[in-house]
Amino acid sequence: MVMLSILRRFVLADERGVSAPVIDFVLGPLDGDHPVVTGLRFRHPADRRERTLPWERLASIDWPARRFRTADLEDALPVPSEGESTEAREPGVPEVLLRRDILDALVLDLQNRRATRANDLELHLEEDGRSLRLVGVDFSVIAVLRRLSRGWIGRRLVRSKIHDWKYIEFLRGDPEAVRAGAVYHRRITRLPAGEIARLVDALPYLHAAELLTLLPNPLAADTLEAMSSQRQLQVFEELSKDQGCALLALMAPDLAADLIGQLHTEDARTQLDCLGPDRAAPIVELLRYPENTVGSMMTNDVLSVPVALTVGQARDALHERLAGPDFISFIYVVDDEAGRQLRGVVTLRKLITADDTTPIEEIMNPYVVTLHALDHSRAAAHRVLNSHLVALPVVGREGKLLGAVTIDGAVALVAPTRWSSQGFRVFS
Amino acid sequence: MPPLHHEKPSYNPGPEGLEPLEAVEAVALPSHPRGTVHASLRLNINGRSVRLRGLRREPTGAWRLLAILGPGLIAASAGNDAGGIATYSSAGATYGYQLVWVMVLITVSLAVVQEMCARLGAATGRGLLDLIRERFGIGWALFAVGVVLVANGGLVISEFVGIAAAGELLGVNRLVAVPLAAAALWYLVIYGSYGWVERVFLLMTLVFFAYPVAAFMAHPNVGELAHGAFVPTLRRDHDFLLVFVGLLGTTITPYMQLFQQSSVVEKGVARRHYGPERLDAWAGSVFSNIMSICMIVATAATLHAAGHTQVDSAADAARALEPVVGPAARTLFGVGLLGAALLAGAVLPLATAYAVSEAFGAPKGVHLDFRRARLFFGLFTALIVVGAGLALVPGLPVIPLLVVMQVLNGALLPIILLFILLLVNDRRVVGELKNTRLCNAIAWTTFVTVTLSVGVMLLDQAFGLFGRKLF
Repeated sequence: MVMLSILRRFVLADERGVSAPVIDFVLGPLDGDHPVVTGLRFRHPADRRERTLPWERLASIDWPARRFRTADLEDALPVPSEGESTEAREPGVPEVLLRRDILDALVLDLQNRRATRANDLELHLEEDGRSLRLVGVDFSVIAVLRRLSRGWIGRRLVRSKIHDWKYIEFLRGDPEAVRAGAVYHRRITRLPAGEIARLVDALPYLHAAELLTLLPNPLAADTLEAMSSQRQLQVFEELSKDQGCALLALMAPDLAADLIGQLHTEDARTQLDCLGPDRAAPIVELLRYPENTVGSMMTNDVLSVPVALTVGQARDALHERLAGPDFISFIYVVDDEAGRQLRGVVTLRKLITADDTTPIEEIMNPYVVTLHALDHSRAAAHRVLNSHLVALPVVGREGKLLGAVTIDGAVALVAPTRWSSQGFRVFS
Repeated sequence: MPPLHHEKPSYNPGPEGLEPLEAVEAVALPSHPRGTVHASLRLNINGRSVRLRGLRREPTGAWRLLAILGPGLIAASAGNDAGGIATYSSAGATYGYQLVWVMVLITVSLAVVQEMCARLGAATGRGLLDLIRERFGIGWALFAVGVVLVANGGLVISEFVGIAAAGELLGVNRLVAVPLAAAALWYLVIYGSYGWVERVFLLMTLVFFAYPVAAFMAHPNVGELAHGAFVPTLRRDHDFLLVFVGLLGTTITPYMQLFQQSSVVEKGVARRHYGPERLDAWAGSVFSNIMSICMIVATAATLHAAGHTQVDSAADAARALEPVVGPAARTLFGVGLLGAALLAGAVLPLATAYAVSEAFGAPKGVHLDFRRARLFFGLFTALIVVGAGLALVPGLPVIPLLVVMQVLNGALLPIILLFILLLVNDRRVVGELKNTRLCNAIAWTTFVTVTLSVGVMLLDQAFGLFGRKLF
């Protein structure tokens, strides 16, 4: 085990006696738990150009003399000028250097769910000496002192302060890198969307956009839903048009409408066109309600069944549709799908436990508290909270079912701004 | 408030199974809706013309400028703090209009420097210390953090001393004014959202208009002023050079750059929308320096003309102005000083808290709460409490303290400017928003001038320690 702060003071020397200080370490693909160092970066004393010596060309490491030994420094490859790529595997993706890119960078500590700075890096030399791996990160103050004192303080490592690289996600701060095919660890995809959103809020917006780009689309859409609205907008504008469209299609219509409502007019039109008529219709419908009305805060993705059905028929009718909406706790009973006059409400529990042959009308609650689509949103939010129900249905002037205001929408509206700096989600 | 739409829509398709469009017309709103109902915007989507709420409409005309104003105006105005007012008043009282040309030139330099910081913030989404730590290593970051902590901590004390002095000018006891101001600033930042804090800060900048009024009341000689503004005068004497360096150091100070970049980041300005935002940095620099020139003019036309050339603090200037101009001048300077010290009293601890949090990768931002950003708010609270507490200590040597803080800030300034210049020219950091040649020429000239001036100042301080003068 050796720390980067110690290793970076080593010198690279060849058999002819030519030597050069090592300025950095090139890291291989980042998809494994402990990525390997593939080369040593140094400035050649003859032409002062930076070169990379492949790790395989290293003959030995002289620890007491702090030297890497190689046969000939001339074996090193010149570093291409900016814009070119040395990695055949990753065309167009800049390589990752330990000191330049990871040391001092903001990395995601997945175990502690925080974004923090890498104060020092721990490397492990395999027993055969043939490979050097990045195995840990030191976030402690001791690491800072070790670096400032050039190794005099904190030479003895405190194991508890070192965090396994396996639980670290490193981001380059460039969403383009993901699109160009850069390799990532992607362990972050195992976290729930809400926790990823909280981490995203602590990152600079380009890192956040990069993170969202590397997530699978369904998880990215859930994460986008859970972000604060300002961050949502910043990140969304950095995504490619196609990814933005794909994420909007996966988002709940009410949250997609809120996001589109924040975009510039032209961008909003482009995104709605891209979504296609079927996906855009519910979003456009929500966007048509004036701000500060119930219509602007409700979701119109709710389940409804005609009153004439039996429980068994209702279950069959809902079987396919249950996969879609986020909010499925209440199923609203309407006279028929065309008129959609609200007649009552059935909980999912009742629908599952009731006999197949029982008519829906018998198990539904016909005394439903409703909200009007054009009521003021804040008053409606308080009514939802006071009702002790997870949602209240929203109806039009003639009693037609339009959607529902769920408890998370209500809380997000009445909570102080700093509480809801991250979107509050229950049904997602 | 924009008018509500009362006309019927021209097209009413309504997708299958959903409410027809009439139902969502604003005419059907309940009779007493609370809050604001915004007008909607008509848009053609998938061949349908529909009216949609909330789509962001670009403000036009004067509203556009007002919507853009923010971090740039606040950061530059915070530079005109209690110490700044003292320096400008002293420059005017001692040398009349002779140094106005320096302010004209510094305006360009300040605008360029502040704009570069705003650009760095928008292009990277990161604060200055964040970038310094990542690009130049922990040593430089810690050096900057150390100097920022000490220098800004000291300046916070001087701002609260300024608040106490302003309070006394306006007839309020310092034991009331200082704790009240500290509590108000603390409450605003801890419990306010970023938007609120920015709005209150912008309102505070309005008090600077006291200075143009004071300058106007002083009946300046326009010919002499124009001569002073456009014909450079250089004198080879020790005090003149020190005032010259003082003007430079007071107008461009590291905390302004730190605050500018961090608040652009917190405001959420993204690189795609940066274009109009540069106007904020320029407008802020021009505004703040016009106010500085007004301070010089107000004292030049009165105190200098009356032969009263010794001004040590802003309160001194106000008291000296009273017999020459009248009691209104005292009140105007008092109000101006109170606003300036309040603004800087909040901006300085904020800039410091941003810088330290960025250097250590801790959560930061006015929009967060104490629980989520302990270092950020803890440091902010500590600076306010210590600053206000020490300002109430009787017999505190304020002027020597200010000199030490200015020396420290002066030592940091060339380093910060160099880092900004290196970062803003690095394509890996800022991408397409790299510096232009003209911007680089002005910025490097500023860097060289500032470095020489700081060198002269430091040498002079060193000579002063041995009881000698540099010139």
